[in-house]
Amino acid sequence: MSLDYVKFTPGFDRFMPKEYRDMVEHGPFGKKTTVSQVGSFKEILEEHPMCAGCAMTLFIRLAMISFPNPEDTITVGTAGCGRLAISQAAIPFVYGNYGDQNGVASGLTRGLRLRFGDKPKDVVVMAGDGGMADIGFAQTLHSWFRKEKFTTIMLDNEVYGNTGGQESGMTNRNQVLKMAPLGKKFEKMDMLGMAKVAGCAYVATVVPNNPRRVENVIKKAVLIAREIGPTYIQAYTSCNIEYAIPIDKVMEDAKAVELDRYKFSEYVSEEAREYLADQYGYKEYMPKPAPALAKS
Amino acid sequence: MYLVASINTEVCAATSCKLCTQYCPEANTILYNNDAGKDQGLKYGSAYVSVDRCKGCAQCVWVCDNMAKHNAIKMEMIDQIGDQALTQNIIYGEKSTTAVLANPVPG
Ligand SMILES: Cc1ncc(C[n+]2csc(CCOP(=O)(O)OP(=O)(O)O)c2C)c(N)n1
Ligand code: SF4
Ligand code: SF4
Ligand code: SF4
Repeated sequence: MSLDYVKFTPGFDRFMPKEYRDMVEHGPFGKKTTVSQVGSFKEILEEHPMCAGCAMTLFIRLAMISFPNPEDTITVGTAGCGRLAISQAAIPFVYGNYGDQNGVASGLTRGLRLRFGDKPKDVVVMAGDGGMADIGFAQTLHSWFRKEKFTTIMLDNEVYGNTGGQESGMTNRNQVLKMAPLGKKFEKMDMLGMAKVAGCAYVATVVPNNPRRVENVIKKAVLIAREIGPTYIQAYTSCNIEYAIPIDKVMEDAKAVELDRYKFSEYVSEEAREYLADQYGYKEYMPKPAPALAKS
Repeated sequence: MYLVASINTEVCAATSCKLCTQYCPEANTILYNNDAGKDQGLKYGSAYVSVDRCKGCAQCVWVCDNMAKHNAIKMEMIDQIGDQALTQNIIYGEKSTTAVLANPVPG
């Protein structure tokens, strides 16, 4: 959990695989890498078995590129497709039992604070809509009500993808799925509303067809969680298998869904705005200079 | 055999935009060489695919055709595209990468 763990043990560097050497020498650790530099540095995410063309994969990749301090970040996940990739990155990954992720992250965050004091260690939960809004619903909400300081990211593919297409609370009404042949009978849950009610300091929706926006949202959420309070990002990350989206049409689908029901939205609490402006120089949240007095 | 993405350096280096590198779902797969094509007088450098990591989803083709409007990427059979970049042969530099090309289908 520091730059020390991304060094070679003296004498062993020549025995390490090339991917590992590239990671140590040309990875993002200790640097400020951005999405616009991709293709020129070694990303922390490695090969994994998620489906070809899956938008969730793209989102996870962009999120990993966007972590402000990857060398001081721990991810927490659970059963579901996303963990297949999240676990294959050069940063620590904690696997919670299905639905336990926000409980595990609460303990982890508190432990890290006891151990490291004010030196920020970022905890980021990434889990599916089923894991978060159904099975892990109580733990998710309670971590927010308790104001636990870590970031929660829902990988919302609007279905249980990993187990073959059951409806989740985040599936849309009337949606027919392999394991919901009569269509879902009730509305998509308003997790964004609940996050605000429960006191999250930052709540945003995002779609991966805008990589710079994903970067911006992830950075803000992680920074705010360091000191202000819980943060929540809900990302539309389609499942091309269960929704039968041809893989070369995944970005078209993301655009259509963005326009239809996943418009970009962002809530930043007053305290979080001030903090981003003061601590990290976010111009958009700096107080506007008073307009010059009109000459009489 | 299976399809992988292949980027035409001349087309990409004439107009390069780096969009495909940001939209490929797979990490470390579409890389960028700032000097590619410069020996032919082309301006910008080019994206290229580390074909052993490519899962053949063709999203980069859609992005290059429809968002970048450059039509520089085609899907091709791995055993018919000739020498390509492979993960083992990529050299990372300060701000760019280069690859020694090799046949992706061993002997
Ligand atoms: C306690 C428990 N119940 C059920 C499962 C089986 N299971 C594994 S993944 C999964 C569904 C995942 O759906 P979601 O959380 O929406 O993630 P996705 O795969 O769609 O990304 C289920 C039910 C489990 N691993 N543990
Ligand atoms: S099943 Fe769906 S969500 Fe899971 S990896 Fe495949 S496309 Fe992605
Ligand atoms: S999208 Fe097309 S033109 Fe742009 S960098 Fe990629 S291959 Fe080159
Ligand atoms: S085909 Fe898919 S995996 Fe291969 S380079 Fe293009 S976007 Fe990446």
